[in-house]
Amino acid sequence: MSDKRKKQLLVWIGSIAIALICLIPFIWMIVISFSKHPDFLASNKIPYIFTLKNYVEVITTHDLHVMDYFKNSLVIATIVTIIAVAIASFAGYAVSRIKFRGKTSIILGVLAVSMFPQISIVGYLFKIMTKIHWINTYQALIFPYIAWVMPISLWILISYFMQLPTDLDEAAMVDGANRIQTLLRVIIPISAPGIFSTSLLVFISAFNEFMFALMLTSDFHARTIPVGIALFQGLHGEIPWGQIMASSAIASVPLVILTLVFQRYIVQGLTAGALKG
Amino acid sequence: MKQGYRSIYRGLHKYKASEERLAYLLLAPVVILVGGLILFPVIGTFVSSLYKNITFLPPVKFIGLGNYKKLFTDVHFWHSTYITILFAIVAVFCETALGMFYAVVINEKFRLRGLMRAIVLIPWAIPTIISARTWQLIYNYNYGLLNYLFVHFHLSHHAINWLGTSTSAFSSIVVADVWKTAPFMAILFLAGLQAIPESLYEAARVDGASLSQQFWRITLPLLRPVIVIALIFRTIDSLRIFDLIYVLTGGGPGGSTSSISIYGFKAYILGDFGYGSTVSVFTFFVILIFTIFYLKAGRFQQGLKK
Repeated sequence: MSDKRKKQLLVWIGSIAIALICLIPFIWMIVISFSKHPDFLASNKIPYIFTLKNYVEVITTHDLHVMDYFKNSLVIATIVTIIAVAIASFAGYAVSRIKFRGKTSIILGVLAVSMFPQISIVGYLFKIMTKIHWINTYQALIFPYIAWVMPISLWILISYFMQLPTDLDEAAMVDGANRIQTLLRVIIPISAPGIFSTSLLVFISAFNEFMFALMLTSDFHARTIPVGIALFQGLHGEIPWGQIMASSAIASVPLVILTLVFQRYIVQGLTAGALKG
Repeated sequence: MKQGYRSIYRGLHKYKASEERLAYLLLAPVVILVGGLILFPVIGTFVSSLYKNITFLPPVKFIGLGNYKKLFTDVHFWHSTYITILFAIVAVFCETALGMFYAVVINEKFRLRGLMRAIVLIPWAIPTIISARTWQLIYNYNYGLLNYLFVHFHLSHHAINWLGTSTSAFSSIVVADVWKTAPFMAILFLAGLQAIPESLYEAARVDGASLSQQFWRITLPLLRPVIVIALIFRTIDSLRIFDLIYVLTGGGPGGSTSSISIYGFKAYILGDFGYGSTVSVFTFFVILIFTIFYLKAGRFQQGLKK
């Protein structure tokens, strides 16, 4: 067999293996979410019966609060994304265009923060939030999340702004625009793809965050969907796997679709965030 | 004439000063937020670690290094540290290998390449907590998919209690983590692979190099810088492991799969704020040491300065 044929064969076998590995758990989540008996593998006597019951219960049973958690997550992640990307764009613009003292130390300081473990923050954050009576509110999560996503947002945006030629700014400023106008009317519109990929990554990480949300919220008023799913309890004691998997599907299918549709931007963001040091 | 130059000079000076002021203004929100909500709490945690502060045992009292003395003789804490480091080594190694496999396959030109690149991203897109819950169900003793497959294909005579014994629980956590994070590695490696010129492989083929020789002699050495950066990111991240263990085992059975983050969190939940802070400070330093080690090893610093 020639090397070329051998390679083709290996690629096909590899693809099948990858598809199985990546898809089986996800498909299993969907399968169980539509199952009347989540324990149907236990014995031959239990059949697999397709049902929408889990979804209906999760969406309509008010006491489960799944829709509240989902709404909280969406609202919090959206606000975090808008504010974080806005202030990171301002800061990124300053860093990429203006000379000023202390630039390197400020940037290295912010980036160093990205290696901090959450556990070394969450305890004291709880203390602060208790003191100002913010426990179990949206703002108790929104502000820490904005701070938490700052390093990655800045990292991507700075690397994006750096690629744009400074001629653009100069042309705008010769025409009488000041710095802020240049940023808002020239740089930000041109950087739309970079800003979009930053927004996607920020939204996903705010949506997925767990430890802060676990510590700083206590019920459906502010609890997010990851915490809701982690602490999911049925109304009758036993682990309601059908409902858990239905909630999981509701929460993750939008993210999966978002990722697949905007795959290019996500890959760009991740590689810019990691590789363009 | 001289006057004119001076005023231009003064104007320029003023312009520079105003530019600088604008820069600080644009950076202010970032500095305030990161300073107030990350740096300040970290410092607060340092200070709290010097106090005895237990909710059920007031009053709060300064005890100096008392918590640290307790930490150094706390067997459960050291076990958590050991598990965390072992986890980071094993998981990151497996992720790198699997991610490399993904990347090499989806880098090839074939009909389903676009589809395969999308499929690889799916585990990355699912929130950790949700993938943890799904794996928890797959590992279920009585009706989990894994035991069903194992018994069905005669890999084992009886069902295995995956999350019930310390070794299998540890492996189960590693598998679930690798599944979720290998795509990230694959994306980075793929970017690296695309930068390798095809002509190198052609030359190697002309010289009669086999496929595996091409991988070991061309692909791997040229990917080295990307691999180092990916290792830094993932090692730091896995030393912080929390979400996955919290859902899968809660640190059990009997504390055997507890990570340092889990251990610190439990101290907080039990109301021992001082000791929780001490564990957190220690976690901070473990990660700091690893980062410095990697930065030195990977000469990453030069990259940062560019």
